[in-house]
Amino acid sequence: MKQASGTPERIPFWRNVKTLGLLAQVIFTLVVLTAIVILWNNVASALARSSLPADFSWLTSRAGLPIGERPIPYTPDDPYWRALLIGFLNTLKIALVGVILASILGVLVGLARLSNNWLLRQIGTWYVEILRNTPLSVQIIFWFTAAIATLPPTISAPIRLPGGILFSNRGLAFPAIYPGFGFTAWLPWLLGAIILFAVILVMRRRQIRASERPGLAWPYALAGMLVVAASGYLVASQQATIPSTVAVDFVTERGRGVTFTDTNGNGERDRGESAYGHVPVTVTVPEAAIEARSSNLVEQRQVKPSVIRFPVIEEGEYDTFDIRILGESDRERFSIHWIDAPVSGVVFEDRNNDGVWQEGEELDAQGEGFQGVRTVLTVTGFQRDLVSDRDGAVRIPNFDPVGTQAENVEEIEDAGRSGAGGFGPSNLFGANAASDDEPSDAPTLDTVVDIRPSGALVWSPPSVPVSNYTGGFRFTASYLALLLALVIYTATFIAEITRAGIMAVPKGQTEAAKALGLSGRQTFSLVIFPQAVRIILPPMISQYLNLTKNSSLAPLAAYAEIFAISAVVANQTGASVPVTILIIVSYLIISWFFSVVLNIVNARMAIVER
Amino acid sequence: MDMIPSRPPPAGQRGVQAWLRRNLFSGWVNTAVSLVVGYLVVVSTINLTRWVVTGASWEPVWTNLKLLAIYRYPMELAWRPVIAVGVFLMLTGLSAALGRRAGKGKIIGGLYAWLTGLVVVLTVIAWLAWPSVREAWTAATFMAAGGYLAGWFVPKLVRAQAWLWSAGLPVVLVLVYGLGGEGPWATVRTLEWGGFMLTIVIAVFGITVSFPLGIALALGRRSSLPAIKYFSIGFIELIRGAPLITWLFIASLMVPLLLDTSPDSIPALARALVAVTLFSAVYMAENVRGGLQSVPNGQREAARALGLSGWQTTRLIVLPQALRAVIPVLVGQAIGLFKDTSLVFIVGLHDFFEIGRRIIPSQPESLLYPGGVLLELSLFMAAVYWFFSYRMSIASRQLEKELGVGER
Repeated sequence: MKQASGTPERIPFWRNVKTLGLLAQVIFTLVVLTAIVILWNNVASALARSSLPADFSWLTSRAGLPIGERPIPYTPDDPYWRALLIGFLNTLKIALVGVILASILGVLVGLARLSNNWLLRQIGTWYVEILRNTPLSVQIIFWFTAAIATLPPTISAPIRLPGGILFSNRGLAFPAIYPGFGFTAWLPWLLGAIILFAVILVMRRRQIRASERPGLAWPYALAGMLVVAASGYLVASQQATIPSTVAVDFVTERGRGVTFTDTNGNGERDRGESAYGHVPVTVTVPEAAIEARSSNLVEQRQVKPSVIRFPVIEEGEYDTFDIRILGESDRERFSIHWIDAPVSGVVFEDRNNDGVWQEGEELDAQGEGFQGVRTVLTVTGFQRDLVSDRDGAVRIPNFDPVGTQAENVEEIEDAGRSGAGGFGPSNLFGANAASDDEPSDAPTLDTVVDIRPSGALVWSPPSVPVSNYTGGFRFTASYLALLLALVIYTATFIAEITRAGIMAVPKGQTEAAKALGLSGRQTFSLVIFPQAVRIILPPMISQYLNLTKNSSLAPLAAYAEIFAISAVVANQTGASVPVTILIIVSYLIISWFFSVVLNIVNARMAIVER
Repeated sequence: MDMIPSRPPPAGQRGVQAWLRRNLFSGWVNTAVSLVVGYLVVVSTINLTRWVVTGASWEPVWTNLKLLAIYRYPMELAWRPVIAVGVFLMLTGLSAALGRRAGKGKIIGGLYAWLTGLVVVLTVIAWLAWPSVREAWTAATFMAAGGYLAGWFVPKLVRAQAWLWSAGLPVVLVLVYGLGGEGPWATVRTLEWGGFMLTIVIAVFGITVSFPLGIALALGRRSSLPAIKYFSIGFIELIRGAPLITWLFIASLMVPLLLDTSPDSIPALARALVAVTLFSAVYMAENVRGGLQSVPNGQREAARALGLSGWQTTRLIVLPQALRAVIPVLVGQAIGLFKDTSLVFIVGLHDFFEIGRRIIPSQPESLLYPGGVLLELSLFMAAVYWFFSYRMSIASRQLEKELGVGER
């Protein structure tokens, strides 16, 4: 008794948990620090020996990297930091769209797995089982090289989807709406409309609360906003004029031009004169020609022999057209079978003399030194309405002046007679060519580019000048392939989360809702789903983070996101350490962002206990 | 008093017709969905089958199977990896048979049967088409059968089981790497490794080494010592923050710098293994942490009350319960790692994926196929990865059931 209240037995320090713990921590810290110091020294001496850049000064030097996918203006002359910024924005661009699409698809598949239709259930189950157990890398390769790359090429043969959407092995192009000349005049109206929306919303809510009757506030606010915005649009579009400083610098021979702000008014684009994007223009070419050779093409995994292709020219864009085979002997031997006049066809030799093309009558273009059959398309009155890109680019097919196609003197003399093998509503053009100037004068192409007026907004449909899209809004093949793979893969996980979340809602809830007389749809949308969302959202957000991180597989689809660009930059500059730091920091920012969102959601979703 | 015998349900509620009505044609909407979806399924199945049988060109896959399996591993030594497979199956068979004797081990038995079936199929193909590995595959089949029979007839081996497994690993390593010199035991350097063999090597190494590492990190994260705790948290969050492909890339850039050696002195395989293992370890740590949190505190307190030391409590009481709770999750992670090995192309290794993606399509023979060979190759690769991942995910589900996770 006495001893207990007196001096307790002292624990020797080597058995004292506190001392031991402290000691362990000191030793651990020392070991870690030593390791860090050794590794740091290694890196420092290795860097010093190899004279690789160890700081971030290279960020401001010229990158010289061409990047096809750029959400903000960029040229290879821009510095490295801008290239890396574009990579980061591209990561966000694919993550944002991917997250939305994956959620939609995933929830649909999850619901299919719970459907009372056996077939849908099976499809949902096998969708998840097959695609979840296949590596994302293989799926990206499948979509990029095996699916999208085998689509028809852009030139001459894009798939036309409803609504002016074009789809080809270069990706998908949609019509888009861009700000027009009257946009700045419209902006105050828009601002007013938004303020009006808020004001009406608040007032109407107050009114509803005062009247103590049920009612909706937003339809009035929305109507008010739309009226103001629409009338503002009309007024702004009425007043919109073409700014006097906008000019086009068009290089006729290359079929391309730039719309820009002509500050000194000399009509040429000088240094320091910036591009003026989204300008509607009309390009008119009174008469022009394009030459094309027949060749064997591989399309959708099939060899298509002896095909000729001209750039896409649509009906209504020309007055007349005429297509001839060049060379006297070729013209007598061969004819053209049109698949889509005047854009693509097959050159054939009519071996059974029935005047029409038959399978097997194409030329075998494998022969030694065989360059294909030369054909020339001549158009009159070509006119195309275009909207220049963000960087002011305007592109039309690369036309040549008429008369430059002849390969020899006979050919020029021959051009007068024309006719044979010609195709089209009119053969007038050949006669025109013959009555042209003396052969000594090099023919020129007269191209007229007019700037059209536009309202507050301008509608920009995509078109295909030569082999890639111009105008509209484009998803490249890389973007599309990566997006498809990420969405389809992540959706399998989201489907499982959705299914588990809905199944986790107790059955009593359904029964209670039924007992209250709610319909099946009401039960789901008012009782089951709100409770399921609480369970679904947190794991869903971590799948969103996974999708974003998985977008780093972009190099497999040649998509320029942050990792792909960093890898190229590391190779170009040799700055391994700084690039490593930049990669890690970028992804930590992304992860941190998602964890903040997750915390907010968790706080919101937590059941409020009383 | 006679009991009235229970009558079968009315004819409208049983039989094929009733099943069809309930599952496919229970209403207008349901009927319409069934018809439309059924039509699409039938049409696409017919078209896909027709394409697989007649449309696709499978020769590039068939003629390059050696590349896909072992890449540049010398053909005259190809029997060694095959025998290594045999050794693995022998041990699996032993465990399966011993487990079955003890009245459990259904899962490992299922895996054994499945893998043996695969080996038998390969043996038959070898007798038909691959003369150089005929004997090796036959031997592997016999080894698989021998292991099972040994376990079945010599139950005493149950005590040697752990030792045999531990001995098996170096044997497999020697078989794959060689002993040196010339002749049948010549060393095959890791530069020559590749194909599916490399995929398996990376996956198995990554899973085995990251397991203890992950447990250590998880325990570190829950440690009461701040230095260890915050180091673990920092390490885990840092590695988890960036995706695996970036760590592989960083490893290939930084490992030579960190060790201050020339980049050529560290084989690409070593760099890949470092990145894969550390990456897998932090995810393992997070999963194990979930298991640790699921063990009630009372267990720990009871153990301490019984006089167990802190280390004993962790080792004997907490960890076994924690690991039991997360085994299915860990199998899921192993599947993930198996799929993720396809990213090692970034350090220049030629694993199964890289050979299908780049090596075979760039062969001159492959260039003759119009439209390339990648469609068939990517489908073949997808099928192989799927075959193994799906079997593992079935095993994971069985484990979940057997362990009764979440049912207490």
